[in-house]
Amino acid sequence: MRLPSWLAQHIAALRALLVLTVLLGLAYPLAMVAVGRLPGLSDRADGSLITVADKTVGSRLIGQSFTDADGNPVPRYFQSRPSAAGDGYDPTSTSAGNLGPESIVDTLSDNPDDAAQSLLTQVCARSVAVGELEKVDGRRPFCTADGVGAVLAVFHRDGFTGPVTRVVSVNQTGTPFVATYQGVTVESARNGEDYRAMGAVITPIRGDAPADPVVPADAVTASASGLDPHISPAYADLQAPRIARERGLTEDQVRRLIEEHTDGRALGFLGEPAVNVLELNMALDGR
Amino acid sequence: MAGWLFVITLVLALVAVYKPFGDYLYRVVSGTRDNVVERGVYRLVGVDRNAAQTWGVYARSVLAFSAVSILFLYAFLRLQDKLWLSLGFDPLPGHLAWNTAVSFTTNTNWQAYSGESTMGHLVQMAGLAVQNFVSASVGIAVAVALVRGFAARKSATLGNFWVDLTRITLRVLLPVAVVFAVIFMAAGMVQNLSGGVDVTTLTGATQHITGGPVASQEVIKELGTNGGGFYNVNAAHPFENPATWTNWIQLFLILLIPFSLPRVFGRMVGQNRQGYAIAAVMAILAVASVALTIGLEVHGAGTVPQAVGAAMEGKETRFGIPNSAAYAAITTLTSTGSVNSFHDSYTALGGMMPMINMMLGEVAPGGVGAGLYGLLILAVITVFVAGLMVGRTPEYLGKKIGAREMKIASSYFLITPALVLIGTAAAFATGNNATALNVGPHGLSEVLYAFTSASNNNGSAFAGITVNTPWWDTALGLAMLLGRFLPIVLVLALAGSLARQKVTPESEGTLPTHQPLFVGMVVGVTVVLVALTFLPALALGPIAEGLS
Amino acid sequence: MTTPTLEKPTTPSPVRAGTLDPHQLRHSLPQALAKLDPRTLWRNPVMLIVEVGAVFTTVLAVTDPSVFAWIITVWLWLTVLFANLAEAVAEGRGKAQAATLRQAKQDMTAYLRDGREIPATQLKLGDVVVVEAGQIIPGDGDVIEGIASVDESAITGESAPVIRESGGDRSAVTGGTRVLSDRIVVRITQKPGESFVDRMIALVEGANRQKTPNEIALNILLAALTIIFLLSVVTLQPLAIFSKAFQAAAPDTVALDANGVTGIVLVSLIVCLIPTTIGALLSAIGIAGMDRLVQRNVLAMSGRAVEAAGDVNTLLLDKTGTITLGNRQAAEFVPVDGVTAATLAEAAQLSSLADETPEGRSVVVLAKNDFGLRESEPGLMPNVTFVPFTAQTRMSGVDLPGRQIRKGAASAVMKWVRQNGGHPTEEAGEIVDTVSGTGGTPLVVAEQLDGQPARALGVIHLKDVVKAGMRERFDEMRRMGIRTVMITGDNPRTAKAIADEAGVDDFLAEATPEDKLAYIRREQEGGRLVAMTGDGTNDAPALAQADVGVAMNTGTSAAKEAGNMVDLDSDPTKLIEIVEIGKQLLITRGALTTFSITNDIAKYFAIIPAMFAAVYPGLDTLNVMRLHSPGSAILSAVIFNALVIVALIPLALRGVRYTPAGASSLLRRNLLIYGLGGVIAPFLGIKLIDLLVQFIPGI
Repeated sequence: MRLPSWLAQHIAALRALLVLTVLLGLAYPLAMVAVGRLPGLSDRADGSLITVADKTVGSRLIGQSFTDADGNPVPRYFQSRPSAAGDGYDPTSTSAGNLGPESIVDTLSDNPDDAAQSLLTQVCARSVAVGELEKVDGRRPFCTADGVGAVLAVFHRDGFTGPVTRVVSVNQTGTPFVATYQGVTVESARNGEDYRAMGAVITPIRGDAPADPVVPADAVTASASGLDPHISPAYADLQAPRIARERGLTEDQVRRLIEEHTDGRALGFLGEPAVNVLELNMALDGR
Repeated sequence: MAGWLFVITLVLALVAVYKPFGDYLYRVVSGTRDNVVERGVYRLVGVDRNAAQTWGVYARSVLAFSAVSILFLYAFLRLQDKLWLSLGFDPLPGHLAWNTAVSFTTNTNWQAYSGESTMGHLVQMAGLAVQNFVSASVGIAVAVALVRGFAARKSATLGNFWVDLTRITLRVLLPVAVVFAVIFMAAGMVQNLSGGVDVTTLTGATQHITGGPVASQEVIKELGTNGGGFYNVNAAHPFENPATWTNWIQLFLILLIPFSLPRVFGRMVGQNRQGYAIAAVMAILAVASVALTIGLEVHGAGTVPQAVGAAMEGKETRFGIPNSAAYAAITTLTSTGSVNSFHDSYTALGGMMPMINMMLGEVAPGGVGAGLYGLLILAVITVFVAGLMVGRTPEYLGKKIGAREMKIASSYFLITPALVLIGTAAAFATGNNATALNVGPHGLSEVLYAFTSASNNNGSAFAGITVNTPWWDTALGLAMLLGRFLPIVLVLALAGSLARQKVTPESEGTLPTHQPLFVGMVVGVTVVLVALTFLPALALGPIAEGLS
Repeated sequence: MTTPTLEKPTTPSPVRAGTLDPHQLRHSLPQALAKLDPRTLWRNPVMLIVEVGAVFTTVLAVTDPSVFAWIITVWLWLTVLFANLAEAVAEGRGKAQAATLRQAKQDMTAYLRDGREIPATQLKLGDVVVVEAGQIIPGDGDVIEGIASVDESAITGESAPVIRESGGDRSAVTGGTRVLSDRIVVRITQKPGESFVDRMIALVEGANRQKTPNEIALNILLAALTIIFLLSVVTLQPLAIFSKAFQAAAPDTVALDANGVTGIVLVSLIVCLIPTTIGALLSAIGIAGMDRLVQRNVLAMSGRAVEAAGDVNTLLLDKTGTITLGNRQAAEFVPVDGVTAATLAEAAQLSSLADETPEGRSVVVLAKNDFGLRESEPGLMPNVTFVPFTAQTRMSGVDLPGRQIRKGAASAVMKWVRQNGGHPTEEAGEIVDTVSGTGGTPLVVAEQLDGQPARALGVIHLKDVVKAGMRERFDEMRRMGIRTVMITGDNPRTAKAIADEAGVDDFLAEATPEDKLAYIRREQEGGRLVAMTGDGTNDAPALAQADVGVAMNTGTSAAKEAGNMVDLDSDPTKLIEIVEIGKQLLITRGALTTFSITNDIAKYFAIIPAMFAAVYPGLDTLNVMRLHSPGSAILSAVIFNALVIVALIPLALRGVRYTPAGASSLLRRNLLIYGLGGVIAPFLGIKLIDLLVQFIPGI
């Protein structure tokens, strides 16, 4: 008996899929798993785990938080970048921050579940925190001194034009970062208000922070994976005095360690120089 | 400077492999001698190796194979808890399983799920990764069928899909995958069947280090321009992209086949210079786009990048800004969609570039196969206008571009813009844009990006948008499905129509399709058509954001 | 009769088609208005969409009147009207041509041989009519009895009468021409309403015009572009509403309010983006192309044939009359050893005195020019007997007292020499071979003096004379990518020599009609398009097989029926012009399509900031033309879009300038003018219009 051609075609398709699934979906990956058991590869194929005194402390490739149970930085350790993976460096919940370059207005609310920080405020807050931890100037452009985005909602008489009628500092419920704007007194924001929807023009204020902030860029931004094992040499350098202080080392000793654990650009042009934080911290512990 | 060297070395490497790898591909698709494994596959599948198919049969074979693939994968995902190595994960809900099945079958690899918390190892390697192989082969097979149409003289047939599928998979994709999987393992990519290990960190916290067959899947994900990551953060994850040099290799693998296919085209039509011309169009668009993206990201415009001092949000330290931007451009130029940084946090205009790359129709150089056939369609449209301007009935490689060919080519280039625009408008009209994380123009960009990515079978995401809802899963699934198979059917119809024609010999009056002027014109047509179609929507998204 | 002469210019005569006087516009206006009927307009989907948009804005302008709304509405209607006007003007010109032809048919009476009198319009195929001197021939047909001189000036414009006679290749007559003398009986070969003139009229009238293949393909592209732009504008609406709602501070403008982009602006944007320029002019271009053919006295049976002419790869040209002058001419006297050239010339002259064929005359002329031999009147010479040429002897000559001279084909004359006691020298044979080898025709001259054996004196070298300028013309063809093939009945050696001299690419020697047909088939098999001319009945199969078959008007009805064009001038070199017209037609379409699409870039820079700068002030950066206001920007774009149609009507009618050149240089040139020009022109135009419309109150 001959099958109708459409049915024959689909049966051929199913057979093809099954044959290829066996070849490509089982034989190939399992063969690769087997290859991965070979000495020299097996360590890496298993996740480049680092073991100290029979205790696995992590993976050379996966970043860690060096914070205490409350999430505060442990000063003896170099700190990693901010992470958006779970509660920070959670490999079961990898993620980036995903806020855009003009995410500058916070959602303010009494209820912490409804409140949301804009990316600008996150950056400003991190910068201030790092500044305090490292005892350096944590100011940045478009940031207030208390670490939120310096953003005003400016009401004009005719929408975008005309005299200014009202000004609100949208990310601050407390004292506004400036007293007046174009002769109008700046109000503080109230929870739950959407000033843009009320007709305000959202205006970030540059402020007088240096264009080249002391706290490096990677210290105030979340990485792509949330598991970034590296920090920039600049951020490591910024942390060196604190580490030296906490560990009773000279800054030179610390800097030498940083240098030892800095990966330059591969072949001189691939990627960026970076410092592996876990390895650096283990080196500190090992001394 | 290092950033530019990164791009230049990639270009040089691709130039170096263009001929040898292209010639190898050519021998694979035009060879007639099969090895034992291939003969075995034919026997198991039940096909006659020498039975050439008409375009209709070829198309029905592609559709049958893809339909069976979607059903098989759907069932796999719905039943994963009943199978081995599920790591205890639940079966996927219906809408997500549909979306994912379509996504991998269409070479899109849009991921509405988070790999590490959804998929067991068996589903990843025997379900998803298998489609990474075969969907890539389907794309290449269709492109080859189209080229056969150009090369044929008064022929009714275009080759045999099952033979193409088997040979491309076993002779091209699998060997390259094996070699680079080992290299990737050496770089630190995980390859085991472990459910992971718990470690105690230096500060005493617990961290779960995941395991899985990552390296084997990572290779084909890039080589087949699929892009579906093992993990949620894709190639940003240190286990998927551990080193700066694996980053380079990944981009090389992504570009390898798409940039070598023009060679196959040139060889098959018997004029290598025609292949060079197509490769030149791809290269010009790609280099311009990569350079622009790097330039915009390094410049770092926008309030937050200025506050930070650099557009570092959502980028890994080891890759830095230039290599991340290059990756973003290349992954979207090729319909790959794997990411090593998060486009949502790019500068407004830097983030527009990936969108525009996809809007180009994934032709520079595009997905494996899909890029070549997409660009050939654009070349057909260019030939038509240019051909009229030299006073002849337009012809491309001796084939007349008449009403039937134009009907097919025009429909082809209508499909994806229609899907993108209608999908985006529908999301806003129905309020489903509300799941976007960002507000205003950036929120608009997130929605526009999602439909652009799905309709063009790219699969990268602006992210930030919650797309695992019944509406989004369904709508994007439809966009992926229609964006893949309607064009494929049209391409095969065009191939059939071209194959039937005789070949008009070249003369002084024939529009030369291998010269810089024509190359420039195809570039122009591609850019202008895209600009004209999407500019209004882009104006309300990234352009509005970037010019504020 | 207007057979070509040496003086006939081979360059295209100046064409009247480009001129466009206001008079014509006014005349075409009523028709343009009539074409607003959607039932007529549906043939042109691009313009139909503009009309639907115009109706929509009219409704909006009535329900919610404003200066802006009304001005836009008026200009949208004008856009449709201008498109109709372009078509109407093109039709009007074609009709004017056809009208003169048609006029002749009006009120004409046909006198049937059986004595009945019926109106000419009722003539059926196969009717037999009698036409007397002074009467007009009522329809196309063949002369089956009699001979007459016919004035064909009504269709050819040539005042010299031509001879039409039954049988042979001069039997075809065209309806509308006048018999000047004698009486002929004509069998009608046309069906009612299907005479050449009728078909021509149909081709220049837009309504009944069949679209050509390329036109159909182009229409598909235009439809696709239209759909894309429709989609991109319509789907913009939800995004616009979202954006406006997000930016609460944004004031309402003429372009955008809380309900999104206003209807008027939405329609304006669609109209500006869809390819209205080419959409409006497409049918005018086609009609004007046919019209240009008519102006050159070529009647095409279909637009398809004209288009095919542009694609021709191979041109089959008859040697005689097309490449060479109709007749061979004596070029040289080559004597055998021991005979002076003057002696040979004298003998040749004497033998040709009574030979009135062009060859014979040319011998006399050469003898006079080269040797000063005066021509003596045959009648004045006593005792002279002229021996005429017969097919049996294949020679002619003269018998003088004591001296016989013969000239003719080598074999015939040699035979005569032998018969008369002489024996032909080797040398004469060698000369004959040499002459033949160079493509010439050798005529051997021999004499016999009384009492002596006959001897050959030498050879007259008759040569085909290639028309002036042909080599340049063929070089031109080669640059255009067209192979020229000479068809001749000559032997291969002769053919090759002439082919080399004329510079054609190939030749077909000793060609029979079957050879021609086979050659055409072979070319077509190789994917090439073939054009040829022909006049005889035996050309009919080849004419029918060729992609472009141009029948000479002097030819037989069978030839005319078989071809797809008729050249009223019966000028075989016209084929070259027909090819150029075909190319020009395609180039004009391609150029205006490119122009139309590239125009959109500037329109975006006008309209996008006009629509959205109110919501996102940063978008005002895109307002590179610094247009006055959103209203003026949109209005300027709409007005430019309409005016550019009018501005391009002359170009559409005249066609883009075509100079024979290779494809690359043509593309470079046209891309520069119409591509780059298309980008730049609207920036200037829109800015200029904006400078004016900003003074309209309320804008």
